[in-house]
Amino acid sequence: MNESMLCTKTHEYVLEQGDKYEIGITDYAIEQLGDIVFIELPETGSVFSKNEAFATIESVKAASEIYMPISGEVVEVNEELVNSPELLNDTSYENKWLIKIKSSANQVEFADLLDYSDYKEEVE
Amino acid sequence: MTKQTFLHDKHIKLGAKMVDFAGWDMPVQYTSIIEEHRTVRQNVGLFDVSHMGELIVHGEDALPFLNKLVPQDISKLINQKAVYCQLTNKNGGIIDDLIIYKLEEQKYLIIANASRIDEDLNWMVRSKRGFEVTIVNESHNYSLLAVQGPRACELIKSLGLEELPAFFFIKRAELFDINLWVSRTGYTGEDGVEILVRNEFSEYLWDKLLDAGKEFGIKPIGLGARDTLRLEAALHLYGNDLDENTTPVEAGLAWSIAKNKTEDYNGRRIIENQLKNGTDKKLIGLKMLDRAIARHGYEVYSNNEKIGVITSGGISPIRGDNIALAYIKNLDNLNVGSTIQVMIRDKLHDAEIIKRPFVAKKNKECKNI
Repeated sequence: MNESMLCTKTHEYVLEQGDKYEIGITDYAIEQLGDIVFIELPETGSVFSKNEAFATIESVKAASEIYMPISGEVVEVNEELVNSPELLNDTSYENKWLIKIKSSANQVEFADLLDYSDYKEEVE
Repeated sequence: MTKQTFLHDKHIKLGAKMVDFAGWDMPVQYTSIIEEHRTVRQNVGLFDVSHMGELIVHGEDALPFLNKLVPQDISKLINQKAVYCQLTNKNGGIIDDLIIYKLEEQKYLIIANASRIDEDLNWMVRSKRGFEVTIVNESHNYSLLAVQGPRACELIKSLGLEELPAFFFIKRAELFDINLWVSRTGYTGEDGVEILVRNEFSEYLWDKLLDAGKEFGIKPIGLGARDTLRLEAALHLYGNDLDENTTPVEAGLAWSIAKNKTEDYNGRRIIENQLKNGTDKKLIGLKMLDRAIARHGYEVYSNNEKIGVITSGGISPIRGDNIALAYIKNLDNLNVGSTIQVMIRDKLHDAEIIKRPFVAKKNKECKNI
């Protein structure tokens, strides 16, 4: 996990990378889900608003919706995870992002996101 | 206040993830549901199922009393034999599914679902007028440990129990100098035993079994894998696949109903009418034709018309595909081999009706070693 990530209370993270943002779910969320068996991601070009469900992750036990930490347009999708969802549980696998987006979100959208250290305190 | 089994501390020490199940704080997994599932199919797993209920029915009229409560014929039971039963209401709906063991003449043990113990007791007490019978709830005195998998019987034999009970039999035994009951039953589709032991010995027994089981590859198994295992074996889960508005005939349990039973039982007229003339709904097995996962409550369609609902669904770690149980309208053109659809997040996904169980059961042909 990267210290400059910003997290939601619903366990998504967003990480600024140049002109894009990477979005995924936190290690804590992965740990809580257990064995991940199915991941459904949106198509590139899809546009989502903040807090809108953009993906579904299913563990053995249940299906969970994943929500946008900020608004934006999907420009890249992690197809590797769609094909091998179990990689998300693999601690040696590093590319755990779900989508990359272009965003023109303003400060208001970032206001309720938690610094990674605060998020960690919250869940521990 | 959630209840805890006498093995609760053991689960915590083993690092289990705990969840609420029917009011009990139970281990859902220790490491990974899929890994635990494979352990039970390949070697042997140890389950704490102490949340299950134990009821004793005894007295002069114990036999006619039980025969009034279930469609099965309890008079066929010889001593120490068990039978899978349903407790039916006046409409033939299922109040609970049970295993009834004949311990001795006029004395029977009932294993009931944790979530249904109160309903079962209420129903039985209300039904006992005119019968010389005593019903005792022993649930709070006993722990139940399940040892399941292809190496389960080997393990138990290695503990000095030379003669295991035959399939669906129970016997009094001694393991590690503890007096207990061993029955050749389970909820995984594998060969194995369930061990009924007084609470004060359960922790000791748990540790001893894990220790002695090491050379057989034993692992503790949580309720998560218990659910995927029973689904592969197409064993019903009360509350998902069975309820008070579903009869044993609709649930595909006609095989378990006694055909020429002398005594009347609750719901008999309706059940026999369904056996003769068919039912409006039927239970089917499905496999998904893509990677989508059907789950409890999802709707089932045929030709864009809603025809039913998924009652249990998930992955099959052994088959490598996704499977489900569903109730659908009993239409003649929908049979094994037919393709129907499941509505998953507003999209229809193809599924094929296939035979149950989804994975061949290993316990039926188990050798009576």
